Amino acid sequence: MKVRFWGVRGSLPVPGARTERYGGNTSCVEVRSASGTRVVVDAGTGIRKLGKELAGTGEGGHSEIHLLISHTHWDHIQGLPYFAPLYQKGNKLQVYARKRDDLHLRAVFASQTDDPYFPVPFDETQAEIGFRELPDAARFDIADVKIACARLNHPYIATAYRLTVDGATVVYVSDTAPFSDILFEDEFVARPPGPGAELPTRDKQKLERMREGVVRLCDGADLVIYDTMFTPEDYTRIPHYGHSRPSDAVDVCRQAGATKLALFHHAPERTDAEIDTILGSTRSAAAATGSALEVIAAYEGLEVDLARGKS
Amino acid sequence: MEISFWGVRGSIPAPGPATVRYGGNTSCVSLRPSGNDGRLIVLDCGTGARNLGNMLMEGPFGQGKGEASILLSHAHWDHIQGFPFFVPLYQPGNKFHIFGGAKSSALLEGILEGQMAPQYFPVQTLKNMGATIDISAIAEGTPFQVERCAVRARTNPHGRAGALAFRIEDAGRSVVYASDAGYGPEGPPAASLDLYRGADVLIHDSTYTPEDRKRYAPRGFSSVEDAVAAAVAAAVKRLVLFHYDQDYSDSEVDALLARGRRLLDERGGKSIELVGAIEGSTLKI
Repeated sequence: MKVRFWGVRGSLPVPGARTERYGGNTSCVEVRSASGTRVVVDAGTGIRKLGKELAGTGEGGHSEIHLLISHTHWDHIQGLPYFAPLYQKGNKLQVYARKRDDLHLRAVFASQTDDPYFPVPFDETQAEIGFRELPDAARFDIADVKIACARLNHPYIATAYRLTVDGATVVYVSDTAPFSDILFEDEFVARPPGPGAELPTRDKQKLERMREGVVRLCDGADLVIYDTMFTPEDYTRIPHYGHSRPSDAVDVCRQAGATKLALFHHAPERTDAEIDTILGSTRSAAAATGSALEVIAAYEGLEVDLARGKS
Repeated sequence: MEISFWGVRGSIPAPGPATVRYGGNTSCVSLRPSGNDGRLIVLDCGTGARNLGNMLMEGPFGQGKGEASILLSHAHWDHIQGFPFFVPLYQPGNKFHIFGGAKSSALLEGILEGQMAPQYFPVQTLKNMGATIDISAIAEGTPFQVERCAVRARTNPHGRAGALAFRIEDAGRSVVYASDAGYGPEGPPAASLDLYRGADVLIHDSTYTPEDRKRYAPRGFSSVEDAVAAAVAAAVKRLVLFHYDQDYSDSEVDALLARGRRLLDERGGKSIELVGAIEGSTLKI
């Protein structure tokens, strides 16, 4: 199994000299099995380059792409209209995301290319596009890849995915807040909880169960890709924005016995040098607990080979 | 007047080492009329608006005492996608006047609301943003006042859609913003040339080389050649190339600029100054 990072940024793309090394494109990760099954997680602006690569190889016109969507906030879908394989006959794209009671998945994607936002309406794309809506905690197979899902703690709700193939497992956990201070559902959370505010017992229990689900999803994973957008200071200031700190990811990975953690969904304001520093301190903190957890910071273009003990 | 460029790219932000010099953010330009009295006009809200907003928060906008006007050429993503990340909009007390092309002000508001909807953005609605926002559809051709400047707008053809071009006049100086213009074979329509006529600065769509323009004609963008033709026909003083294709590297934009200079010299525009828009740069007139 090969895991390739095409976009590692959260919120919005951030071009410029200060993001040159880690990359400025929004979330997109590609997973390929040894037999050639291609599963892409999220369609931020990073997916544009994957599309160019696919269109440029002999695969154009025969591509079969499975796209798992964590949630439909812009930074996880905004690259799709610029994904070249959509506009080539013969390609197949299957989109998966959590089922909602208010909107069908297709409508969410089709609206993105509606007039007046985009010049080419969804109905005019050339590829064969299918949508599959998933219940929470869904389990299914995509060819030789086994998929499992868990619910995350994020405004309007997001889904984590576990992908297992070739004897290796990668888990994508983005976007999520820690499972402690606020329970996110569909409603907008306008402000952080006041000092000393107690979570209702029911919310607390729901968060505990949610966290257990995520730890279980990460159980024994070779690689966990985790939303670590926030510094501890960010989290203190804006806990109601729905993102985690590196320490939250380390705790989940340790408890799950995961081998490797990739810090992911870097904040738009984070410079390359700051990500270096965060990576260094996260490594020290993980090591200080006596954990063998290996920590990396995802960067655009990084390929991790998880097949048969390689890394 | 001071013109600052915050995003100069077309279609989709283009991060990476190849775009570091000209910049990879999508369209956003700010105008400070003369007098240094805090007046501010923002032209389009591509991802460049994020950096503009962050800079503004260091001044009165950070205390909820800012006021500015935003002119939107059209609502394709690369011209509005920075709006949700424009931080001064979240500061109560700030006031924003938004103008754009739509059949009614309510429809324009609906277009901006569409981007904020819960399935796409956690803030869920403009109403949660904090600042006071009023939204007005523009009546084309009729001059109106924005930040005490005289403004006129005209629709340029842009693929299947149209995009407004704006002429902003202040203290005897004039700036024209004409992004996303895909003229027919006959070149810019008379109404557009009338809008551009004699401008001190014409910021013009120059997405493509003439060759790429031919390949991608239905997309409705200008080549550097189209921009030169408009500048010469309207006898402007300075032409600013803008809205570069997302796949053009810095050296390709250098070449686009050199080609623009050559074309201007060959086609009667020797006296027209040529500038390539660079993210983070400011022009004074």
